[in-house]
Amino acid sequence: MSGDGTEPRASRDDRPPVSGDGIGTGPGRALVAVYGLFALAAGSRAGVQIATRFGEAPLAYTLSAFAALVYVVLTVALVRGARRLAFAALGVELAGVLLIGTASLVDPAAFPDETVWSAYGRGYLFIPLVLPVVGLYWLRRRR
Amino acid sequence: MNTTVATIVITLALVLMLGSVIAAVRDRAMGMVLLIGFALLEVAVLVQAGFVIAAVAGGAGPEDKVTLFGYIAGEVLIPPAGVFLGLAERSRWGSAILAVAGFAIAVMTARLLQVWQGQA
Repeated sequence: MSGDGTEPRASRDDRPPVSGDGIGTGPGRALVAVYGLFALAAGSRAGVQIATRFGEAPLAYTLSAFAALVYVVLTVALVRGARRLAFAALGVELAGVLLIGTASLVDPAAFPDETVWSAYGRGYLFIPLVLPVVGLYWLRRRR
Repeated sequence: MNTTVATIVITLALVLMLGSVIAAVRDRAMGMVLLIGFALLEVAVLVQAGFVIAAVAGGAGPEDKVTLFGYIAGEVLIPPAGVFLGLAERSRWGSAILAVAGFAIAVMTARLLQVWQGQA
């Protein structure tokens, strides 16, 4: 025996701390920033719409709020390294932007006011459409 | 609303965005120049907020005050939040975060001007 037994042995099981290469660091931190920004943008927009004129376009405003919620969940999931939650939220986000984007073009009357996902996020440089794809790619890459 | 201040804010934000992009491309983490730059941007944004609040108190401004102050509050939050994340991420991605923050301030100030003119 070489040691006194109190020192932890460096074994094959020792892995680098997860926090060092989690999904919320490196490029992932940039994603956190963008998702945080969209959570702020979509959340404020939904807040203003629902507080001041909900009756005008209940469907569009409810979807605005839903989009904001998805962005908040994603920001938190990335920061906390919750992979499964992030995957699920990214799936919902991608489905949402495609469905709402299409619906807003097919039936513009149902969307008299903009949401983040209207026309695939045209009002936001189509970033809402690109973001879930980037996010899914990032999660697949960072294992 | 004071267009001169808005012009200064937008110009400074775009210059800082460019500087952050250059830092990110050169694989540099956020440095002292960007830190000071974003501190200046925060001051400019606060001055702008002061002008808007004063003008609204004086009876000017659009009907949609909630949106107006939403943009003001968002702009005040973004530079510190970007710097916080940029300091936490000591890599080129920290600089990339600041590029996002600079771009956001420029766009939001442009939108602020539109909201002020009533083109919500």
